[in-house]
Amino acid sequence: MSALLALALQPVLPVAIPLTVGGLMLSVSKRLPRKVPDVVAILVALLCCGLCALLATRSAAAPIVSWFGGWTPRQGQPIGIAFVVTPAGGWFACFVCLLFAATLVFSWGFFEKTAAHFHVLMILFMAGMVGFCLTHDLFNLFVWFELMSVAAFALTGYALRDSALSGALNFTVVNTIGSYLILGGIGLVYSEVGALDFAGLAYGIAGVPHSPVVVASFVLLSSGLLIKGAQVPYQFWLADAHSVAPSPVSVIFSGAMVAIGLYGVAELYWTVFQAAPVVQHLMRSMLLGMGEASAIVGGVMALLQRHFKRLLAFSTVSHCGILLIGIALASRQGLAGTLLYMLGHGLVKGALFMVAGIMLAVLGGIDEIGLRGAGRRIWPAGIAMGFGGLLLAGLPVGVMDTGLERIGTAIHDAHARVALPAVMIGLVCTGAAVLRVTGRVFLGLGPVAGEEERSPTEQEREDANRPLWLMLVPTAALILLSLPIAHDADRLGWVAASQLMQPRTASILGLGLGSGPGSGLDAVPASALVAVPAWSPAPVSWLPWLATALALGLAALGLSWHRLPGTTIRLYERSVGPVVAGLSATQSGLVADYVTWITVGLALFGILSAFG
Amino acid sequence: MSPRLRRAVFLLACVCLLPAFAHVASTMPAFGAHPLPYGDLINAVGVRERHVTNMVSAINFDYRGFDTLGEEFMMLCAVTGTTILLRGTRGETQDRPQRVPGREIRPRADATVLICRLLAGFTVLFGLYVLLHAMTTPGGGFQGGVIIASGLLLAFLGEGYRGWRHVAHSELFDAAEGGGAALYALCGFASMLMGLPFLQNMLPLGKSGDLFSGGLMLVENAGVGLAVAGGFGILLLEFLEETREPEPVQEDE
Repeated sequence: MSALLALALQPVLPVAIPLTVGGLMLSVSKRLPRKVPDVVAILVALLCCGLCALLATRSAAAPIVSWFGGWTPRQGQPIGIAFVVTPAGGWFACFVCLLFAATLVFSWGFFEKTAAHFHVLMILFMAGMVGFCLTHDLFNLFVWFELMSVAAFALTGYALRDSALSGALNFTVVNTIGSYLILGGIGLVYSEVGALDFAGLAYGIAGVPHSPVVVASFVLLSSGLLIKGAQVPYQFWLADAHSVAPSPVSVIFSGAMVAIGLYGVAELYWTVFQAAPVVQHLMRSMLLGMGEASAIVGGVMALLQRHFKRLLAFSTVSHCGILLIGIALASRQGLAGTLLYMLGHGLVKGALFMVAGIMLAVLGGIDEIGLRGAGRRIWPAGIAMGFGGLLLAGLPVGVMDTGLERIGTAIHDAHARVALPAVMIGLVCTGAAVLRVTGRVFLGLGPVAGEEERSPTEQEREDANRPLWLMLVPTAALILLSLPIAHDADRLGWVAASQLMQPRTASILGLGLGSGPGSGLDAVPASALVAVPAWSPAPVSWLPWLATALALGLAALGLSWHRLPGTTIRLYERSVGPVVAGLSATQSGLVADYVTWITVGLALFGILSAFG
Repeated sequence: MSPRLRRAVFLLACVCLLPAFAHVASTMPAFGAHPLPYGDLINAVGVRERHVTNMVSAINFDYRGFDTLGEEFMMLCAVTGTTILLRGTRGETQDRPQRVPGREIRPRADATVLICRLLAGFTVLFGLYVLLHAMTTPGGGFQGGVIIASGLLLAFLGEGYRGWRHVAHSELFDAAEGGGAALYALCGFASMLMGLPFLQNMLPLGKSGDLFSGGLMLVENAGVGLAVAGGFGILLLEFLEETREPEPVQEDE
């Protein structure tokens, strides 16, 4: 039994098993009976989910370190690649596998005609994400990053409509630029400190904390990851891609793939770059600013959409902005909150994209106005959507709220003045947008007269080749999973954040804690040993309620627009109209524009580094 | 953004980036400057520990063999994605040679046929040579696999589409690609079954400079070669199926 447990605790398994199964499944893809790929993929996802949960539980006391090929460091010089499981990485990987399992159940039979190719891509996609969470080597991180990008590009274009292909092309070009930036960042930091292992890098950077090459490396690495994490001004590709990908794929994109980029930023900052003063400055200036801008821009853009998947895509930008705020504050509170919010948001957003998939399959459309009142016959999906909207707006229940309260405390402690209103705007706008769609599609509220009633989007439909309950069960499961007891979740987040922030350079490099060149690196700050603080509500406990109420109000306003007096509407069109039109115009769909914005973002990084 | 505005914004951003770029470039270590601790260490211990003379292969397949596992599946992913997109566009599912009615078949010149028949064998042989000599000289499974697949393509050039479809079977390519990639991962599991860390060598390492030196690296290299040859075979097959699309009918005004 203990031998079996030791085998199950090998961190490589949740990556190597899906890879092997993917390869074998491809090699016999033509000969597999129809349902076999579905069953195998779901079982692999569940198995990996269990393995990751086991690893995460066992890593709470100390990280689990595993060197591939047995190549442990020589005199403090890493020569191989390691996986290091911390609770943060382990639980995030577990969450990723869970989301994949739910999605594969949701899409049961949907991708039958591709002869297992779709399932191969999905489980390789999952393996890439798990590898990204567990790896402790910068180049290996890039390998898994690329694996998931390549899988994602093909999955986006699956529908093969014009919009799907142009969305996939924008996604591919922009994210490939991000990959190049990451590769450049790896090259820079390797040239400066001669290591790729996170501990080796941290050790080297501690020796040259003021080197401009290290700062440039951080800028390139974090830019590449923030392109994946869809932060202003790198966010444009997201709405184009997430709105056209097949709904089961969008569940993964919005639920996990975007957040994983932000997880990468947090991990690189705490395990590699935190000794560099300019990097610390960039976190508090540039990254915080990007998070605030994303929370606001994503929220406002979400309100303006009528294509429900596009609306959800913008709400992902907004909520990822909130996540980045939590990371950029560079505090234990902020990080603990962010880790929890990532999981909660991923579950809720995944469920909402499943509702979008149900609409596409059963109602044959995704346009809010065109489907007014059409959703009554699938009312359980409406309940899920409405509840999801309330959770996005900050309704104080479940994991999302626990994380949000921690982020709120961190904002309060850090005196970040813009961050709190930015978070509020993001919550209210995204919540209101989803609630408005719920009201219109499922309750038949808010008639729109005239030409606007016709849908401007092309005809979309997804195969309705599976029963409604099969799609509703995973949707409900994801929502329910986001509602565990707040106190336990809080404790978990706190432990995960503490472990991620804990310096472990010397122990991983085998330098010993006593004396010598590596001593002092692992000197644990006294605060790290403090037990989990008693769970306390946020400093202003009525804020979540306020956000929920405002979101409901804003949704009601949107639904009763036709009843407003003409003067009010004209006033709106004169004052807010031009701002909104300008904001929408930036989302041009032209990849050249998006690349220009990336350059602008890099220039801002450059300017702010000079003042660090 | 209008093209003019876009250009202006882009240039402005580049101008802002220029000082930062210059500053970083001027403080970077000079090209080839030592110390390069990792390379020095591997060069010092590699031959002794791994019995191979191609240190790039030692790093690719052993010291950092786990990266190569990921890269191999990245290629598999790219090929599979391309297949899904192309097959979806063509809207076909059956796996047999396609006909295009009304397209004339131009006969190949005898010289082309002769040269292709001669070269195809030699190209595949050369691919195998590059693949097998991974541990001693530059080359290996990635490079050898591509050369082998391009040798197959000579069948199309010399024998035409029908001849190509005679040698190119998607099931065979799928099996080579998926099986080769899985073989690499299974090497890791084999190590684990023997109680060793994932991908640790457990085979005899052989004599340095010998064709069959390197132990487990040889198996991994063969897996990569199979996967790459199969993957490129599928790509070529799918690309050539694209030529079966009926030509657009010319409409007379």
